[in-house]
Amino acid sequence: MFLDDEIASMKTRQSEARWGMYLALAALAACILMFIGLMTQAKAETTSAKPQQMAGYVRPNDIGTGALLFPSKEPGFFVEALRLATDVQIDVNGPIMRTRVTQRFENPSKGWVEGTYVFPLPEDSAVDTLKMQIGDRFIEGQVKPRQAAKEIYEQAKAEGKKAALLEQQRPNIFTNQVANIGPGETIVIQIEYQSAVRQSNGLYSLRFPMVVAPRYNPQPIVQTVDLDSRTGYAVSDPVPDREKIEAPVLDPKENARINPVTLTVNLKAGFPLGEVKSGYHGVDIASLDDLSRRVTLKGDSVPADRDFELTWQAIEGKSPYAGLFRETVGGKTYLLSFVTPPVAASAADTKPVKREVVFVIDNSGSMAGPSMEQAKESLALAISRLKPEDRFNVIRFDDTMSVHFPELVEAMPDKREDAIAYVRGLTADGGTEMLPALEAALRTQGPVQAGALRQVVFLTDGAIGNETQLFDEIQKNRGDARVFTVGIGSAPNSHFMTKAAEYGRGTFTLIGSESEVAARMGELFTKLESPAMTDISASFEGASAGDLTPNPMPDLYRGEPVVLTAELDGTQPQGKLQILGKAGDQPWRVEMDIAKASTGQGIAKLWARRKIDDLEASASTIADPDTLDKRIETVALAHHLVSRVTSLVAVDATPSRPAGENLSETKLPLNLPAGWDFGKVFGEAPVETVPGKVDERDAALESRTKLAMVTADRMLAAPTARAAGLIAEANNQVSLPQTATEADKQILIGLMLLAFALLAGTTFVFWRAPIAAVVLSGVRHRGR
Amino acid sequence: MAAEKEQSEPRPGFLARLSAAETVVLALIALIALAGLLLVGKGFYIKAKAEVSQVLLKRTFEAQLHGSPDGKPWPWADFQTAAEISAPRINRSAVVLEGASGEALAFGPAWLTTTPLPGDEGTSVIAAHRDTHFRWLKDVNPGDLLVLTRKDGRRFLFRAGESRVARWDESGINASATGHHLALATCWPFDAIEQGPMRYIVDAELIGEQRPVPLTTSSISK
Repeated sequence: MFLDDEIASMKTRQSEARWGMYLALAALAACILMFIGLMTQAKAETTSAKPQQMAGYVRPNDIGTGALLFPSKEPGFFVEALRLATDVQIDVNGPIMRTRVTQRFENPSKGWVEGTYVFPLPEDSAVDTLKMQIGDRFIEGQVKPRQAAKEIYEQAKAEGKKAALLEQQRPNIFTNQVANIGPGETIVIQIEYQSAVRQSNGLYSLRFPMVVAPRYNPQPIVQTVDLDSRTGYAVSDPVPDREKIEAPVLDPKENARINPVTLTVNLKAGFPLGEVKSGYHGVDIASLDDLSRRVTLKGDSVPADRDFELTWQAIEGKSPYAGLFRETVGGKTYLLSFVTPPVAASAADTKPVKREVVFVIDNSGSMAGPSMEQAKESLALAISRLKPEDRFNVIRFDDTMSVHFPELVEAMPDKREDAIAYVRGLTADGGTEMLPALEAALRTQGPVQAGALRQVVFLTDGAIGNETQLFDEIQKNRGDARVFTVGIGSAPNSHFMTKAAEYGRGTFTLIGSESEVAARMGELFTKLESPAMTDISASFEGASAGDLTPNPMPDLYRGEPVVLTAELDGTQPQGKLQILGKAGDQPWRVEMDIAKASTGQGIAKLWARRKIDDLEASASTIADPDTLDKRIETVALAHHLVSRVTSLVAVDATPSRPAGENLSETKLPLNLPAGWDFGKVFGEAPVETVPGKVDERDAALESRTKLAMVTADRMLAAPTARAAGLIAEANNQVSLPQTATEADKQILIGLMLLAFALLAGTTFVFWRAPIAAVVLSGVRHRGR
Repeated sequence: MAAEKEQSEPRPGFLARLSAAETVVLALIALIALAGLLLVGKGFYIKAKAEVSQVLLKRTFEAQLHGSPDGKPWPWADFQTAAEISAPRINRSAVVLEGASGEALAFGPAWLTTTPLPGDEGTSVIAAHRDTHFRWLKDVNPGDLLVLTRKDGRRFLFRAGESRVARWDESGINASATGHHLALATCWPFDAIEQGPMRYIVDAELIGEQRPVPLTTSSISK
């Protein structure tokens, strides 16, 4: 019996242990399940919390091509006016292109409204012309200082006159406010701008923004009942079959029918043309002679989600490597010159460059959160791209700083991994003391090895106050090093970083979000890795000193040409333009005779636009911002350009409409003022008539009418002053930061874990003592 | 009999009497308990940090009002104090920091530097955590008085208006709107456990500026 007991108890102890384990496992599984439940619930919460996108509503930031926006009933959102037709004409003359965009819109509502025409353009475009036709009024814009223009516009608006105001919002976003658009009126807007043809590796290209703003599926979920405030009765829904209206615009084909786009490029390259092609759109290319082509868009192939891009190149061996053009405006001569440095000649091209990279990463408190993650990811990516023959080091700083390796080390795999692990372990805390880190990066990393390229890559949000000190340090102690800045976070101090990169003869890369890390850093890597043409300077020999832009000249990367513009006194300047540079160790020099320059058009405007850029960039050296504004204003006014401080304003150019006359009865046609060419968008029949496709056309017309009704329905039928306020409101919304800590969640989960542990512990203890005995006896009974 | 025997024998150590599996189970329980303790500790640390820092910040802000140029509460701080906001009816106040980047929000409400200074033309935005400094924001009723003291000593009175809920990127707040406005923002819903995209916004309008009154006993007793 005693033995029996012993054996039984041993058995049960084993089974007891097994049971205990099962219990623990079950409890653990339950715990995990609970967690999963918690997570999914939270996830469901966040997705359902996202409000339904407003049907047919857009925000100004969504706009990818020129669009006329009306304020909607939903604050912060707009409804896009129907584009009835768009005509684009691009004239390419050598290195310069002039683009004229004409678009026809319609005010589908029954009220007088103010619309905002938003159009994105390439960064370097100089906008100089605005012409409009609203109803029966023709108006043309005049360049005025921004404030004065605004006042003129506001006054005209208050007086009920038709007026327009074209302002630059960001260097690449322009808005045009149009006041007093009558009910059902058609608006034709024509803008003209000038820009330079992009060149790279002998390939010339131009780009025109065509992306149609995304529209959200118009499926109203709640039927709203508008109760009349006086009678108390609900008025019938103005769009009876609201539910049936789908968003037809997202379909490119549908879009092409509703919004026909015609695009013509008159291409005069200035050299024998080789291949001309459009990347994303079907085009017809007519060959006029060796030097010029006429490119037109095929009618039915306008993808709404791609910008139009045209590339061309010279026939083999005829590719120009240099060019010089001139234009005389107002007693002054403007020059445009481009030179492609000989790529094959540089020895650096054949063998890979040896690089010495010093990475500097900011881990101060202001970087905490997503910024730090982006910085770490970017840096890890950069380190992993190093080659074994490169040397590198990593410096981190907050209000303290530390250098990871005592000196530059060869980028062997183990060292790279070591550095990446170090970077990944960084946390954001403390203040921002950038100067010691910059000093360490520029001064204490030993001399540059022969033939090596010293690069300092700075990752920061630039939240600092001592900018001038830092600029000084870069200018004085840079030596041969190049300083590249990488801006992290949603609102980095771009001014500091652009400027620092300029003084450091490097580039500035902006990373706005996690998803951009790979792409943006990729662009930076190509620059870091491909040898550059450095120390470029230009001067005039025998000619009166001209005003050159850009100034200072930036470094060039593989295949990029030097493109410079200059202003010279007099109409017949003589002498030579001299460009100096260094390709690796080799000096490089080009001379061009100014007198032999061929004439070109629009060079003065291009020069002015670049001059304005240079002035903007010199903001830190000019103490008084008013002086800077004044200088920019002078240049912009002289060349009739829209800039940060100047706007185009237009008030009625034709006699006013007789009072009481109904607009819908005085249908177009109208006589166009001389010199005005509204070409293909003028008049009726916006839909292409193709024989045998009548049904389709009808369908298109029908869906257009429907769209017009939807648009009208969603528009805010408010007085124009209020509309203007709304427009201003939505143009810059403030994004709010995350304002919940993890504290509550952590405490809750912690308490849950504790409770679970307590429960499990109690179970365990009970298991060991009396319950165990009970179970044991049970087992013993059964055992017998 | 067995019980007798067990009792007569000296009790071995508790752990020694456990089988291997039992030790594992016990270790697991201990680990879970430890993790729970750590999490609870971390959560309370965040809250404690928020409370304690406000005390330090108040001191710094006082000094700043009396002419100290440096608004840093401690030497390695990465932010500066900018203002103090209080809601007299519910008797709450907090020192506002400059810039809502990174860790500043852990120490106090932050004035978004992309918006104008409170009291200036436009809409100024102050944001804070719903579970620390702006826990009282939900108690602010329309019509309540909000007093904002800037670091330059000027004191503004705002009248709270309607509150609303919006997505963080569709706040509808225009920094350059006409008039003098103040928007207080925090996360919504207030008792949510997860961080979410919705924000609770209280709009307030400037009703006047209070002349700086020298802080004497009479002014306090009033």
